[in-house]
Amino acid sequence: MMEKFKEWYEKRHEYAKEWKSKTGGKVVGYFCTYVPEEILYAAGVLPVRILGSHEPQDVTEPHIFGMYCPFCRDCLAQGLKGKYDYLDGIMIAQSCLHIRQTFTSWKLHIPIDFSYYLPMPNNVQSKRALPYLTGELKAFKEALEKWTGKAISDEDMKTGIEIMNQSRKLTRELYELRKQPNPPLTGLEAMYAVVASQIVDKKDYNETLHGVLEKLPQRPAEKDSKVRLMILGSEDDDTEFLQMVESLGAIFVVDDHCTGSRYFWNEVTPNQNPLEAIAARYVERVPCPSKDWPERTRIEHIKKLAQDWEVQGAIVIQQKFCDPHELDIPATIESLKQIGIPAQFLEFDVTVPVGQFKTRVEAFLEMLKEEDLY
Amino acid sequence: MTVVGIDCGAKNVKALILEEDKILAKSSVLSGFDQKAAAQEALDLVLKDASLKKEDLAHITATGTGKEEVGFSLGTITEVGANAKAINSLFPSVRTVIDVGAEEGRAIKINDKGKVIDFAINEKCAAGAGTFTETMARALEIKLEEMGSLSLKSQKAVPMNAQCAVFAESEVVSLIHAKHAKEDIVRAVHDAIADRIASMVRKIGIEKDVALVGGVARNIGFVDSLKRDLNLDLLIPDDPEFSCALGAAFAAAEKAKGG
Amino acid sequence: MGDKYKTESLKCWDKAKEIRLNYYKNFAEAHEKGGLRWAGGAWSFDAIPAGLGDDVYPLTGEPYAASIAWNKDFALKCHEAVEKAGYARDLCSYMRNYWGSILLNKYAFGGDFPKPDFIWQDHICCSHAKWYQVARDLEGKDIPMYCIDVSIGPFEELTDNKLDYVVGQMHDGIEWLEAVTGRKYDDEKLIRAVYDHCRSESVWAEVCALNKTIPAPLDEKTMYSLYVHGTLNKSSKVVADFYEELLDEVKDRVKRGIAAVANERCRVMSDTQPPWAFLNVFRYLEKYGCVSVGSLYTFGLIGMWDIKEDGSWGPRKTPQEEGIEIKDRDQALRILASWELNKPEWQHFYAPQLKSEMMIRIAKEWKLNGVLLHYNRGCEGLSLGIAENRLALKEAGFPVMIFEGNMGDEREFDETQTMTRIDAFMESLGLEK
Repeated sequence: MMEKFKEWYEKRHEYAKEWKSKTGGKVVGYFCTYVPEEILYAAGVLPVRILGSHEPQDVTEPHIFGMYCPFCRDCLAQGLKGKYDYLDGIMIAQSCLHIRQTFTSWKLHIPIDFSYYLPMPNNVQSKRALPYLTGELKAFKEALEKWTGKAISDEDMKTGIEIMNQSRKLTRELYELRKQPNPPLTGLEAMYAVVASQIVDKKDYNETLHGVLEKLPQRPAEKDSKVRLMILGSEDDDTEFLQMVESLGAIFVVDDHCTGSRYFWNEVTPNQNPLEAIAARYVERVPCPSKDWPERTRIEHIKKLAQDWEVQGAIVIQQKFCDPHELDIPATIESLKQIGIPAQFLEFDVTVPVGQFKTRVEAFLEMLKEEDLY
Repeated sequence: MTVVGIDCGAKNVKALILEEDKILAKSSVLSGFDQKAAAQEALDLVLKDASLKKEDLAHITATGTGKEEVGFSLGTITEVGANAKAINSLFPSVRTVIDVGAEEGRAIKINDKGKVIDFAINEKCAAGAGTFTETMARALEIKLEEMGSLSLKSQKAVPMNAQCAVFAESEVVSLIHAKHAKEDIVRAVHDAIADRIASMVRKIGIEKDVALVGGVARNIGFVDSLKRDLNLDLLIPDDPEFSCALGAAFAAAEKAKGG
Repeated sequence: MGDKYKTESLKCWDKAKEIRLNYYKNFAEAHEKGGLRWAGGAWSFDAIPAGLGDDVYPLTGEPYAASIAWNKDFALKCHEAVEKAGYARDLCSYMRNYWGSILLNKYAFGGDFPKPDFIWQDHICCSHAKWYQVARDLEGKDIPMYCIDVSIGPFEELTDNKLDYVVGQMHDGIEWLEAVTGRKYDDEKLIRAVYDHCRSESVWAEVCALNKTIPAPLDEKTMYSLYVHGTLNKSSKVVADFYEELLDEVKDRVKRGIAAVANERCRVMSDTQPPWAFLNVFRYLEKYGCVSVGSLYTFGLIGMWDIKEDGSWGPRKTPQEEGIEIKDRDQALRILASWELNKPEWQHFYAPQLKSEMMIRIAKEWKLNGVLLHYNRGCEGLSLGIAENRLALKEAGFPVMIFEGNMGDEREFDETQTMTRIDAFMESLGLEK
């Protein structure tokens, strides 16, 4: 029922190439979920998130020093190896320094027609962020118009916002189903869906998801109840890890990842000034830790997710060397503990030592089950 | 004119006597705890083998991590410089030298005269390839010598992310438990090291021809993985672990001539 | 080998030391005199809190943490305390030294750790605002915190929209300062501090420019002890005046041909913060007659530069020199922001080639034979793009040696291996000890 998402995830390059030959449109690879896809859709450009391959690689050493996260190096490797040779442009919205290097080295070494650095403000808690971002979105829209040679009308902007909002609404509905005592979908399936939404045309995604949402409630539920987990942390599309955990009598019912709920949680509230409306959405969205200061607003959001989805335990997982997450993790784990949710911390690399992680997850699940008994 | 080059490595001390362009004798002894004593032993062995006395030598140059420990040497040269000299003499067409030893890996770019243009050395936390292979052989319960031939039997690439020996060991254990064939795991180990070495070489840029030296060059499984990774052929001298000692001997000869 | 040049120690050395120690003492003792303490970064716009009065003392985190790094035993204790508290060991080592000092309640200059009254930070890298967010977790959430985001892209692409964002935050910051301290803000003091800020940074650049001379009057190890004042309190009159005094002395050294390294025959530059506990690396270079004449880090973190008429790099003209009279708060803030956003050791946050261009310029104008890049695991901000800088320098024809280390955590520095590398590099440059 949900195989399509997995297929898209696994055949992302084939999909994008087909899309291009079918529509004759341009494809822009983007590096961070702060990229305002609304404007790209308004311009008729397909945004695809650039992701890694989870395969060891040895081509980035000359470009990115090994102290930066494996994800940013894995992504650059895909570019250097020519996996994304169909892209017409690349862009980044300012967030962490790690992924920024993927963008800057890509721009230096891989020929590309269009590239854009969007200086997305980091101080999203300041009242100055909204006018600043609105102005920057205007500049971005103009750059896009110049590149495509086509003006973007207010009507186009409205369409762009609608496509994005529709996809967010539907994905929220999918997540709502996971609140059930025996959710009709696994965490792995949910991950495939969200990541697929980042790499295919949202119109295709929305249509497929719409069909899935009609059929899912009739899907026979599993008889045995499972340990309800949440997973949270940095970029994560490690399907192998989720599969392993869910084979041990546990199920992920919710997440806080930029490859998960953080990506689609907030919608754009339309107003007369579409650019300002979009800017407000990105300023107010559930933040990446790199923008979550001086107050930590994300932790309250995580606690609420944990309670609303009735989770028993949390897996906190982080890309090795991810400074922004490392700076929030002790406070996050402490806050979860205060509301009675134990957490298990794990550190990711390009490949996951499944055996080693399995032992730790098993012990964690045992501990959670014991808590149930008393 | 007769000279000696001595390479005081992390694992072995290697000595070599050179008369003009001819190698008269070679010796290799374990470094152990006392590198100084090991160096003396290596020197005594080559002298005996060549039926010479220390007084017959025009110069002695030391290289290797313990080069300052060699009490009797008259000069020193770094492993980078030594390898450049040795390979330029053995294979004049070579522009990139890869040296993989017990504790260190190096990549050296040289010009047609054997001058060093650029070099890279593996970092502290990227464990030495030689020691790494040994640790993995232990985890797999096979002899080190078997690693090479076993690896060549593998038909399947298994991804493995070897950042450091400690983590890699547990990854190997995971692979064993996941019932991967031993030969595939051995190849995964070699692929992982080759990956790291290739990564280091790419840092200085690969220019043909490429030579491989150092003790690990004797491991045919590793050589196979590295060739596949770099997608080119590698020139390997007959005694790859003596490359540094040979280069040191050349340096000694230059000193003896030029003063 | 005989020495080619005369050397002398710096006459203003003791004064440099005294200013630095007074700075740390003033912070610790501020309350005794009824003054205020604030903590923030070396990048913080320190001219702004200066408008609260002359008895407001800063503690900038980076140089403070570097002082800790210099004391290996204390640094190790700090790291262990931080790891015990659950923080990753690959985080910024300055930040970890600073937190360790809080956790151990030990001030590197004696006594308990003096808690700040408020935090006045800047956000340049991902860790900057988070640094003090965690500091508050550790020392009390009741410490008010304000942080200015400067992430507006490279200076060459500065627009009004971007400048307004930074200046807007500054204006809000002044209102915030008044609210949390209960003091009335004095724009005259702000204006004076902005003038001094620009003067400090321009004069420091002029000092660095004198190092184009052969033999170099200063070596980088010495420069570390001098540029530091700009990271402590660049907008203070004390620092600006000290730099003028230093400039006079360095000019005199140049005139008399006084060298930093008597046997200078090879000139290099480094990059990023050095491993502070191992400055002997620089002394080791001297055995080869090799002098490190500076780096974009020592020149461009505090120094402000401009392209002069002859096309070479020289100190940027201050607003005073340009004949600009600052009349009000908004003008002062605009000048301060646009001055500071032009910082050379900052442009690489947006594009490594901007830094490469400046490094190649230094390599040419300062007549260098090679470059030693410190791949610094302790700083994600300044190591950013360093691998691309290496490629660009090599392409421009400069030999480059790299060494890995950590500015503040000695566990990540391999001294023996680094010296071995230097041997190989010097050998490849044709130098002998």
